[in-house]
Amino acid sequence: MDILNKLYEMTAFGDIFGNPGYIVMLLIGCLLLYLGIKKQYEPLLLIPIGFGVILANLPGGGMGVVDASNIQLADGRYMNFFEIAHEYGIMNLLYYSLIKTGLLPPIIFMGVGALTDFGPMLRNLKLAFFGAAAQLGIFIVIFAAIFLGFTPKEAASLGIIGGADGPTAIYTTIKLAPQLLGPIAIAAYSYMALIPVILPFVSKLLCSKKELMINMKEMDRKYPPKVKIKNLHVVKIIFPVLLGIVICIFVPSSVPLLGMLLFGNLVKEIGISVGRLSDTITNAIMNTATIFLGLTVGATMTADVFLNWKTIMILVGGFLAFAISILGGISAVKITNLFNKKKINPLIGATGLSAVPMASRVANEIALEHDPSNHILQYCMSSNISGVIGSAVAAGVLISFLG
Amino acid sequence: MSNLQIALELLCVGMVTVFIILCMVVLIGNLVVHFVNRFVPAEAPKVKVPRKRTSEISRKRIAAIVSAVNTVTGGKGHVVKIERR
Repeated sequence: MDILNKLYEMTAFGDIFGNPGYIVMLLIGCLLLYLGIKKQYEPLLLIPIGFGVILANLPGGGMGVVDASNIQLADGRYMNFFEIAHEYGIMNLLYYSLIKTGLLPPIIFMGVGALTDFGPMLRNLKLAFFGAAAQLGIFIVIFAAIFLGFTPKEAASLGIIGGADGPTAIYTTIKLAPQLLGPIAIAAYSYMALIPVILPFVSKLLCSKKELMINMKEMDRKYPPKVKIKNLHVVKIIFPVLLGIVICIFVPSSVPLLGMLLFGNLVKEIGISVGRLSDTITNAIMNTATIFLGLTVGATMTADVFLNWKTIMILVGGFLAFAISILGGISAVKITNLFNKKKINPLIGATGLSAVPMASRVANEIALEHDPSNHILQYCMSSNISGVIGSAVAAGVLISFLG
Repeated sequence: MSNLQIALELLCVGMVTVFIILCMVVLIGNLVVHFVNRFVPAEAPKVKVPRKRTSEISRKRIAAIVSAVNTVTGGKGHVVKIERR
Protein backbone atom coordinates (compact mmCIF):
# COMPACT_ATOMS: atom_id res chain seq x y z
CA MET A 1 0.00 0.00 0.00
CA ASP A 2 2.89 2.29 0.90
CA ILE A 3 4.45 1.64 -2.51
CA LEU A 4 1.15 2.43 -4.24
CA ASN A 5 0.91 5.68 -2.29
CA LYS A 6 4.43 6.64 -3.32
CA LEU A 7 3.62 5.76 -6.92
CA TYR A 8 0.49 7.95 -6.76
CA GLU A 9 2.50 10.82 -5.29
CA MET A 10 5.11 10.43 -8.03
CA THR A 11 2.48 11.01 -10.73
CA ALA A 12 0.58 14.24 -11.37
CA PHE A 13 -2.87 12.74 -10.66
CA GLY A 14 -3.06 14.20 -7.15
CA ASP A 15 -2.36 17.75 -8.34
CA ILE A 16 -4.70 17.49 -11.32
CA PHE A 17 -7.64 16.22 -9.27
CA GLY A 18 -6.81 18.67 -6.46
CA ASN A 19 -7.04 21.67 -8.77
CA PRO A 20 -9.73 21.47 -11.48
CA GLY A 21 -8.16 24.54 -13.10
CA TYR A 22 -5.53 22.23 -14.59
CA ILE A 23 -8.23 20.16 -16.27
CA VAL A 24 -9.92 23.28 -17.66
CA MET A 25 -6.59 24.51 -19.05
CA LEU A 26 -5.81 21.12 -20.58
CA LEU A 27 -9.20 21.24 -22.29
CA ILE A 28 -8.48 24.77 -23.54
CA GLY A 29 -5.14 23.54 -24.90
CA CYS A 30 -6.91 20.70 -26.70
CA LEU A 31 -9.52 23.15 -28.07
CA LEU A 32 -6.76 25.34 -29.50
CA LEU A 33 -5.16 22.28 -31.08
CA TYR A 34 -8.53 21.29 -32.55
CA LEU A 35 -9.05 24.79 -33.99
CA GLY A 36 -5.55 24.78 -35.46
CA ILE A 37 -5.51 21.22 -36.82
CA LYS A 38 -9.09 20.56 -37.84
CA LYS A 39 -10.47 24.04 -38.52
CA GLN A 40 -7.14 25.39 -39.87
CA TYR A 41 -7.50 28.64 -37.86
CA GLU A 42 -3.96 30.13 -37.94
CA PRO A 43 -2.47 26.61 -37.54
CA LEU A 44 1.12 27.85 -37.51
CA LEU A 45 0.44 29.74 -34.29
CA LEU A 46 -2.49 28.01 -32.62
CA ILE A 47 -0.89 24.56 -32.68
CA PRO A 48 2.32 25.61 -30.83
CA ILE A 49 0.25 27.81 -28.47
CA GLY A 50 -2.18 24.97 -27.76
CA PHE A 51 0.63 22.54 -27.07
CA GLY A 52 2.39 25.14 -24.92
CA VAL A 53 -0.79 25.46 -22.84
CA ILE A 54 -0.87 21.69 -22.33
CA LEU A 55 2.83 21.55 -21.36
CA ALA A 56 2.45 24.44 -18.91
CA ASN A 57 -0.49 22.83 -17.16
CA LEU A 58 0.98 19.44 -16.50
CA PRO A 59 1.75 19.69 -12.76
CA GLY A 60 5.31 18.85 -11.84
CA GLY A 61 6.52 19.31 -15.42
CA GLY A 62 8.00 22.71 -14.63
CA MET A 63 7.07 24.06 -18.07
CA GLY A 64 4.76 26.87 -16.95
CA VAL A 65 6.15 30.39 -17.13
CA VAL A 66 6.52 31.92 -13.67
CA ASP A 67 5.86 35.54 -12.74
CA ALA A 68 8.75 38.00 -13.16
CA SER A 69 8.82 38.59 -9.39
CA ASN A 70 10.14 35.03 -9.00
CA ILE A 71 13.26 35.73 -10.99
CA GLN A 72 14.00 39.00 -9.24
CA LEU A 73 16.68 38.72 -6.57
CA ALA A 74 16.73 40.49 -3.21
CA ASP A 75 19.14 43.20 -4.41
CA GLY A 76 16.78 44.19 -7.24
CA ARG A 77 18.68 42.59 -10.13
CA TYR A 78 17.36 39.62 -12.09
CA MET A 79 18.66 36.05 -12.27
CA ASN A 80 20.90 35.30 -15.22
CA PHE A 81 19.73 32.85 -17.88
CA PHE A 82 21.64 29.92 -16.37
CA GLU A 83 20.02 30.53 -12.99
CA ILE A 84 16.57 30.79 -14.58
CA ALA A 85 17.06 27.52 -16.47
CA HIS A 86 18.40 25.82 -13.35
CA GLU A 87 15.62 27.07 -11.08
CA TYR A 88 12.54 27.13 -13.33
CA GLY A 89 13.36 24.96 -16.36
CA ILE A 90 13.86 25.47 -20.08
CA MET A 91 10.48 27.00 -20.86
CA ASN A 92 11.23 29.90 -18.52
CA LEU A 93 14.67 30.22 -20.08
CA LEU A 94 13.04 30.47 -23.52
CA TYR A 95 10.39 32.89 -22.31
CA TYR A 96 12.72 35.26 -20.49
CA SER A 97 15.40 35.19 -23.19
CA LEU A 98 13.20 35.33 -26.31
CA ILE A 99 9.91 36.91 -25.29
CA LYS A 100 10.53 39.04 -22.24
CA THR A 101 13.51 40.66 -23.93
CA GLY A 102 11.20 41.54 -26.85
CA LEU A 103 13.38 39.62 -29.33
CA LEU A 104 10.91 37.44 -31.23
CA PRO A 105 8.20 39.90 -32.37
CA PRO A 106 10.69 42.09 -34.31
CA ILE A 107 12.24 38.93 -35.78
CA ILE A 108 8.81 37.86 -36.99
CA PHE A 109 8.24 41.36 -38.37
CA MET A 110 11.43 40.95 -40.38
CA GLY A 111 9.92 37.80 -41.89
CA VAL A 112 6.62 39.58 -42.54
CA GLY A 113 8.57 42.34 -44.31
CA ALA A 114 10.33 39.79 -46.49
CA LEU A 115 6.94 38.35 -47.46
CA THR A 116 5.31 41.72 -48.10
CA ASP A 117 5.07 43.38 -51.48
CA PHE A 118 4.75 47.17 -51.29
CA GLY A 119 3.91 47.24 -55.01
CA PRO A 120 0.10 47.41 -54.63
CA MET A 121 0.44 50.22 -52.07
CA LEU A 122 2.84 52.19 -54.27
CA ARG A 123 0.46 51.87 -57.22
CA ASN A 124 -2.49 53.14 -55.14
CA LEU A 125 -0.87 55.40 -52.58
CA LYS A 126 -4.01 57.37 -51.74
CA LEU A 127 -5.68 54.23 -50.42
CA ALA A 128 -2.96 54.00 -47.75
CA PHE A 129 -4.82 56.63 -45.72
CA PHE A 130 -7.47 54.09 -44.79
CA GLY A 131 -4.82 52.19 -42.85
CA ALA A 132 -4.91 55.08 -40.38
CA ALA A 133 -8.68 55.19 -39.99
CA ALA A 134 -8.76 51.47 -39.25
CA GLN A 135 -6.68 51.93 -36.10
CA LEU A 136 -9.67 53.60 -34.42
CA GLY A 137 -10.66 50.42 -32.58
CA ILE A 138 -7.35 50.39 -30.69
CA PHE A 139 -7.94 53.75 -29.05
CA ILE A 140 -11.71 53.47 -28.50
CA VAL A 141 -11.31 50.15 -26.68
CA ILE A 142 -8.61 51.65 -24.44
CA PHE A 143 -11.29 54.06 -23.27
CA ALA A 144 -13.78 51.31 -22.55
CA ALA A 145 -11.19 49.11 -20.83
CA ILE A 146 -10.07 51.90 -18.49
CA PHE A 147 -13.71 52.61 -17.72
CA LEU A 148 -14.14 48.93 -16.75
CA GLY A 149 -11.24 49.01 -14.31
CA PHE A 150 -8.16 48.04 -16.36
CA THR A 151 -5.02 50.05 -15.71
CA PRO A 152 -3.92 52.26 -18.66
CA LYS A 153 -1.09 49.83 -19.50
CA GLU A 154 -3.43 46.83 -19.45
CA ALA A 155 -6.03 48.77 -21.46
CA ALA A 156 -3.43 49.68 -24.10
CA SER A 157 -2.37 46.04 -24.40
CA LEU A 158 -6.02 45.06 -24.83
CA GLY A 159 -6.72 47.84 -27.34
CA ILE A 160 -3.81 46.92 -29.59
CA ILE A 161 -5.67 43.70 -30.50
CA GLY A 162 -7.72 46.05 -32.74
CA GLY A 163 -4.63 46.50 -34.91
CA ALA A 164 -5.14 42.86 -35.99
CA ASP A 165 -1.44 42.20 -35.90
CA GLY A 166 -0.23 39.33 -33.72
CA PRO A 167 3.46 40.29 -33.33
CA THR A 168 2.53 43.93 -32.63
CA ALA A 169 0.00 42.88 -29.97
CA ILE A 170 2.56 40.59 -28.34
CA TYR A 171 5.33 43.19 -28.45
CA THR A 172 3.13 45.89 -26.91
CA THR A 173 1.89 43.54 -24.19
CA ILE A 174 5.42 42.44 -23.30
CA LYS A 175 6.36 46.08 -22.84
CA LEU A 176 3.24 47.22 -20.99
CA ALA A 177 1.39 44.35 -19.29
CA PRO A 178 3.30 41.06 -19.57
CA GLN A 179 0.93 39.37 -17.11
CA LEU A 180 -1.79 39.50 -19.81
CA LEU A 181 0.37 38.08 -22.60
CA GLY A 182 -1.38 34.69 -22.83
CA PRO A 183 -5.00 35.84 -23.21
CA ILE A 184 -4.05 38.78 -25.45
CA ALA A 185 -2.03 36.60 -27.82
CA ILE A 186 -4.88 34.08 -27.95
CA ALA A 187 -7.46 36.82 -28.61
CA ALA A 188 -5.30 38.49 -31.28
CA TYR A 189 -4.58 35.32 -33.23
CA SER A 190 -8.07 33.86 -32.80
CA TYR A 191 -9.75 36.97 -34.14
CA MET A 192 -7.25 37.16 -36.99
CA ALA A 193 -8.25 33.61 -37.83
CA LEU A 194 -11.89 34.67 -37.62
CA ILE A 195 -11.47 37.51 -40.16
CA PRO A 196 -13.52 35.52 -42.73
CA VAL A 197 -16.42 35.70 -40.24
CA ILE A 198 -15.95 39.14 -38.65
CA LEU A 199 -15.17 41.19 -41.78
CA PRO A 200 -18.21 40.08 -43.85
CA PHE A 201 -20.43 40.49 -40.78
CA VAL A 202 -19.38 44.08 -40.09
CA SER A 203 -19.11 45.20 -43.72
CA LYS A 204 -22.53 43.80 -44.70
CA LEU A 205 -23.98 45.50 -41.64
CA LEU A 206 -22.55 48.89 -42.58
CA CYS A 207 -22.51 48.95 -46.39
CA SER A 208 -25.29 48.96 -48.95
CA LYS A 209 -25.27 46.56 -51.90
CA LYS A 210 -24.65 49.52 -54.22
CA GLU A 211 -21.53 50.49 -52.27
CA LEU A 212 -20.20 46.94 -52.29
CA MET A 213 -20.64 46.86 -56.07
CA ILE A 214 -18.37 49.87 -56.73
CA ASN A 215 -16.04 48.57 -59.41
CA MET A 216 -12.51 49.85 -58.81
CA LYS A 217 -11.15 48.99 -62.27
CA GLU A 218 -14.03 50.84 -63.89
CA MET A 219 -13.27 53.83 -61.68
CA ASP A 220 -9.63 53.63 -62.73
CA ARG A 221 -10.69 53.65 -66.38
CA LYS A 222 -12.94 56.67 -65.84
CA TYR A 223 -10.42 58.53 -63.70
CA PRO A 224 -6.98 57.11 -64.53
CA PRO A 225 -4.10 57.71 -62.08
CA LYS A 226 -1.99 60.77 -62.95
CA VAL A 227 1.40 59.16 -62.48
CA LYS A 228 2.56 55.79 -63.76
CA ILE A 229 5.57 54.11 -62.19
CA LYS A 230 8.28 53.64 -64.81
CA ASN A 231 10.68 51.53 -62.77
CA LEU A 232 8.88 49.76 -59.94
CA HIS A 233 11.91 47.67 -58.97
CA VAL A 234 14.02 50.73 -58.10
CA VAL A 235 11.09 52.41 -56.33
CA LYS A 236 10.63 49.32 -54.20
CA ILE A 237 14.30 49.42 -53.16
CA ILE A 238 14.47 53.13 -52.31
CA PHE A 239 11.07 53.26 -50.59
CA PRO A 240 11.74 51.06 -47.50
CA VAL A 241 15.08 52.77 -46.81
CA LEU A 242 13.69 56.29 -46.98
CA LEU A 243 10.47 55.40 -45.20
CA GLY A 244 12.36 53.65 -42.41
CA ILE A 245 14.58 56.65 -41.74
CA VAL A 246 11.75 59.18 -41.74
CA ILE A 247 9.20 57.21 -39.68
CA CYS A 248 11.75 56.10 -37.15
CA ILE A 249 12.83 59.72 -36.58
CA PHE A 250 9.21 60.67 -35.87
CA VAL A 251 8.24 57.63 -33.74
CA PRO A 252 11.50 56.11 -32.44
CA SER A 253 9.70 53.57 -30.26
CA SER A 254 8.37 51.89 -33.41
CA VAL A 255 11.92 51.21 -34.69
CA PRO A 256 12.18 47.60 -33.43
CA LEU A 257 9.05 46.60 -35.33
CA LEU A 258 9.05 48.89 -38.37
CA GLY A 259 12.82 48.87 -38.78
CA MET A 260 12.89 45.10 -38.99
CA LEU A 261 9.82 45.01 -41.26
CA LEU A 262 11.45 47.40 -43.71
CA PHE A 263 14.80 45.61 -43.54
CA GLY A 264 13.11 42.31 -44.39
CA ASN A 265 11.30 43.99 -47.26
CA LEU A 266 14.48 45.59 -48.60
CA VAL A 267 16.27 42.23 -48.64
CA LYS A 268 13.36 40.74 -50.58
CA GLU A 269 13.29 43.55 -53.13
CA ILE A 270 17.04 43.57 -53.80
CA GLY A 271 16.50 40.14 -55.28
CA ILE A 272 18.87 37.49 -56.46
CA SER A 273 22.12 38.94 -55.06
CA VAL A 274 20.85 38.46 -51.49
CA GLY A 275 18.49 35.62 -52.30
CA ARG A 276 20.07 33.46 -49.61
CA LEU A 277 19.31 36.04 -46.93
CA SER A 278 15.74 36.46 -48.11
CA ASP A 279 15.27 32.71 -48.17
CA THR A 280 16.68 32.32 -44.65
CA ILE A 281 14.50 35.13 -43.27
CA THR A 282 11.27 33.81 -44.74
CA ASN A 283 11.90 30.16 -43.98
CA ALA A 284 14.44 29.17 -41.33
CA ILE A 285 14.31 32.25 -39.10
CA MET A 286 10.58 32.94 -39.43
CA ASN A 287 9.63 29.32 -38.78
CA THR A 288 11.96 28.98 -35.78
CA ALA A 289 10.68 32.24 -34.30
CA THR A 290 7.07 31.16 -34.83
CA ILE A 291 7.61 27.84 -33.06
CA PHE A 292 9.23 29.39 -29.99
CA LEU A 293 6.80 32.30 -29.90
CA GLY A 294 3.82 29.96 -29.94
CA LEU A 295 5.18 27.53 -27.35
CA THR A 296 6.29 30.18 -24.89
CA VAL A 297 3.14 32.28 -25.22
CA GLY A 298 1.13 29.11 -24.59
CA ALA A 299 3.28 28.35 -21.57
CA THR A 300 2.32 31.68 -19.97
CA MET A 301 -1.29 30.46 -19.78
CA THR A 302 -1.19 28.63 -16.49
CA ALA A 303 -4.49 28.01 -14.68
CA ASP A 304 -3.92 30.64 -11.99
CA VAL A 305 -3.05 33.36 -14.54
CA PHE A 306 -5.58 32.56 -17.26
CA LEU A 307 -8.75 31.60 -15.43
CA ASN A 308 -10.05 34.94 -14.26
CA TRP A 309 -12.57 37.59 -15.30
CA LYS A 310 -9.91 39.67 -17.07
CA THR A 311 -9.44 36.94 -19.67
CA ILE A 312 -13.14 37.06 -20.55
CA MET A 313 -13.02 40.87 -20.71
CA ILE A 314 -9.98 40.65 -23.01
CA LEU A 315 -11.78 38.27 -25.37
CA VAL A 316 -14.85 40.54 -25.53
CA GLY A 317 -12.74 43.73 -25.74
CA GLY A 318 -10.57 42.22 -28.48
CA PHE A 319 -13.63 41.47 -30.61
CA LEU A 320 -14.93 45.01 -30.10
CA ALA A 321 -11.54 46.49 -31.01
CA PHE A 322 -11.54 44.45 -34.23
CA ALA A 323 -15.08 45.42 -35.17
CA ILE A 324 -14.55 49.13 -34.41
CA SER A 325 -11.35 49.15 -36.48
CA ILE A 326 -13.25 47.76 -39.48
CA LEU A 327 -15.98 50.33 -38.84
CA GLY A 328 -13.35 53.11 -38.76
CA GLY A 329 -11.96 52.08 -42.15
CA ILE A 330 -15.39 51.77 -43.77
CA SER A 331 -16.53 55.13 -42.36
CA ALA A 332 -13.39 56.83 -43.71
CA VAL A 333 -14.16 55.52 -47.22
CA LYS A 334 -17.78 56.64 -46.97
CA ILE A 335 -16.70 60.14 -45.96
CA THR A 336 -14.15 60.26 -48.81
CA ASN A 337 -16.82 59.15 -51.29
CA LEU A 338 -18.98 62.12 -50.29
CA PHE A 339 -16.37 64.53 -51.66
CA ASN A 340 -14.84 62.60 -54.58
CA LYS A 341 -16.09 61.77 -58.03
CA LYS A 342 -13.91 58.70 -58.12
CA LYS A 343 -15.76 56.39 -55.73
CA ILE A 344 -13.98 53.81 -53.59
CA ASN A 345 -15.38 50.45 -52.56
CA PRO A 346 -15.85 50.56 -48.74
CA LEU A 347 -14.34 47.08 -48.45
CA ILE A 348 -10.99 48.75 -49.11
CA GLY A 349 -11.44 50.70 -45.89
CA ALA A 350 -12.41 47.54 -44.03
CA THR A 351 -9.03 46.03 -44.89
CA GLY A 352 -7.19 48.95 -43.30
CA LEU A 353 -6.46 46.81 -40.27
CA SER A 354 -3.44 44.50 -40.57
CA ALA A 355 -4.10 40.76 -40.97
CA VAL A 356 -2.26 40.66 -44.30
CA PRO A 357 -3.27 39.17 -46.69
CA MET A 358 -6.29 37.40 -45.25
CA ALA A 359 -8.37 40.58 -44.84
CA SER A 360 -7.75 41.50 -48.50
CA ARG A 361 -8.64 38.02 -49.72
CA VAL A 362 -11.89 38.02 -47.75
CA ALA A 363 -12.81 41.53 -48.97
CA ASN A 364 -12.09 40.48 -52.55
CA GLU A 365 -14.41 37.49 -52.17
CA ILE A 366 -17.21 39.71 -50.85
CA ALA A 367 -16.75 42.09 -53.81
CA LEU A 368 -16.83 39.19 -56.26
CA GLU A 369 -20.04 37.91 -54.67
CA HIS A 370 -21.72 41.19 -55.63
CA ASP A 371 -20.03 41.65 -59.02
CA PRO A 372 -18.04 38.74 -60.52
CA SER A 373 -15.88 41.18 -62.54
CA ASN A 374 -14.92 43.32 -59.55
CA HIS A 375 -11.44 42.12 -58.50
CA ILE A 376 -10.35 44.49 -55.73
CA LEU A 377 -7.53 42.44 -54.18
CA GLN A 378 -4.73 44.77 -55.33
CA TYR A 379 -6.58 47.83 -54.02
CA CYS A 380 -7.32 46.16 -50.68
CA MET A 381 -3.66 45.19 -50.32
CA SER A 382 -2.76 48.88 -50.40
CA SER A 383 -4.76 49.77 -47.29
CA ASN A 384 -3.96 46.38 -45.77
CA ILE A 385 -0.19 46.95 -45.95
CA SER A 386 -0.51 50.51 -44.71
CA GLY A 387 -2.50 49.02 -41.81
CA VAL A 388 0.59 47.05 -40.79
CA ILE A 389 2.57 50.30 -40.66
CA GLY A 390 -0.32 52.04 -38.89
CA SER A 391 -0.65 49.43 -36.15
CA ALA A 392 3.12 49.41 -35.55
CA VAL A 393 3.06 53.21 -35.22
CA ALA A 394 0.06 52.99 -32.86
CA ALA A 395 2.01 50.48 -30.77
CA GLY A 396 4.98 52.86 -30.74
CA VAL A 397 2.76 55.69 -29.49
CA LEU A 398 1.30 53.51 -26.72
CA ILE A 399 4.72 52.29 -25.60
CA SER A 400 6.27 55.75 -25.53
CA PHE A 401 3.29 57.20 -23.64
CA LEU A 402 2.80 54.46 -21.09
CA GLY A 403 6.00 52.41 -21.07
CA MET B 1 -4.20 62.99 -14.28
CA SER B 2 -7.17 60.63 -14.29
CA ASN B 3 -7.00 57.45 -16.30
CA LEU B 4 -9.85 58.54 -18.58
CA GLN B 5 -7.96 61.72 -19.35
CA ILE B 6 -4.95 59.58 -20.32
CA ALA B 7 -7.24 57.54 -22.59
CA LEU B 8 -8.55 60.70 -24.26
CA GLU B 9 -5.03 61.98 -24.76
CA LEU B 10 -3.95 58.65 -26.23
CA LEU B 11 -6.93 58.68 -28.61
CA CYS B 12 -6.07 62.16 -29.90
CA VAL B 13 -2.28 61.78 -30.03
CA GLY B 14 -2.42 58.20 -31.34
CA MET B 15 -4.86 58.82 -34.19
CA VAL B 16 -3.17 62.07 -35.22
CA THR B 17 0.29 60.40 -35.18
CA VAL B 18 -0.88 57.40 -37.21
CA PHE B 19 -2.56 59.72 -39.71
CA ILE B 20 0.53 61.95 -40.02
CA ILE B 21 2.81 58.94 -40.49
CA LEU B 22 0.61 57.49 -43.20
CA CYS B 23 0.50 60.92 -44.86
CA MET B 24 4.27 60.70 -44.89
CA VAL B 25 4.10 57.21 -46.37
CA VAL B 26 2.02 58.66 -49.21
CA LEU B 27 4.30 61.66 -49.56
CA ILE B 28 7.52 59.63 -49.54
CA GLY B 29 6.00 57.12 -51.95
CA ASN B 30 5.07 59.91 -54.39
CA LEU B 31 8.49 61.54 -54.06
CA VAL B 32 10.30 58.28 -54.73
CA VAL B 33 8.05 57.52 -57.73
CA HIS B 34 8.66 60.98 -59.24
CA PHE B 35 12.40 60.78 -58.55
CA VAL B 36 12.72 57.35 -60.15
CA ASN B 37 10.50 58.29 -63.12
CA ARG B 38 12.74 61.28 -63.77
CA PHE B 39 16.22 59.94 -63.08
CA VAL B 40 16.06 56.13 -63.23
CA PRO B 41 13.35 55.19 -65.75
CA ALA B 42 13.37 51.57 -66.78
CA GLU B 43 15.61 50.70 -69.70
CA ALA B 44 13.74 49.60 -72.77
CA PRO B 45 14.01 45.83 -72.97
CA LYS B 46 16.45 44.69 -75.65
CA VAL B 47 14.56 42.91 -78.38
CA LYS B 48 16.44 40.02 -79.89
CA VAL B 49 16.26 40.10 -83.67
CA PRO B 50 15.83 36.58 -84.88
CA ARG B 51 18.47 35.62 -87.40
CA LYS B 52 17.41 34.32 -90.73
CA ARG B 53 17.54 30.61 -90.51
CA THR B 54 18.55 29.97 -94.07
CA SER B 55 21.73 31.95 -93.61
CA GLU B 56 22.69 29.68 -90.71
CA ILE B 57 23.11 26.73 -93.07
CA SER B 58 26.50 26.96 -94.64
CA ARG B 59 27.05 26.47 -98.36
CA LYS B 60 29.30 23.49 -97.70
CA ARG B 61 26.52 21.79 -95.77
CA ILE B 62 23.97 22.54 -98.57
CA ALA B 63 26.38 21.05 -101.10
CA ALA B 64 26.83 17.98 -98.94
CA ILE B 65 23.05 17.52 -98.59
CA VAL B 66 22.47 17.93 -102.36
CA SER B 67 25.18 15.44 -103.24
CA ALA B 68 23.86 12.99 -100.64
CA VAL B 69 20.34 13.22 -102.12
CA ASN B 70 21.80 12.76 -105.63
CA THR B 71 23.68 9.67 -104.58
CA VAL B 72 20.74 8.08 -102.72
CA THR B 73 18.12 8.80 -105.46
CA GLY B 74 20.47 8.13 -108.35
CA GLY B 75 20.14 11.69 -109.71
CA LYS B 76 16.32 11.60 -109.77
CA GLY B 77 15.67 13.48 -106.58
CA HIS B 78 15.92 17.26 -106.22
CA VAL B 79 16.40 19.37 -103.09
CA VAL B 80 13.66 22.01 -103.06
CA LYS B 81 13.88 23.31 -99.49
CA ILE B 82 16.13 22.77 -96.49
CA GLU B 83 14.58 23.34 -93.07
CA ARG B 84 16.25 23.16 -89.67
CA ARG B 85 14.22 21.37 -87.01
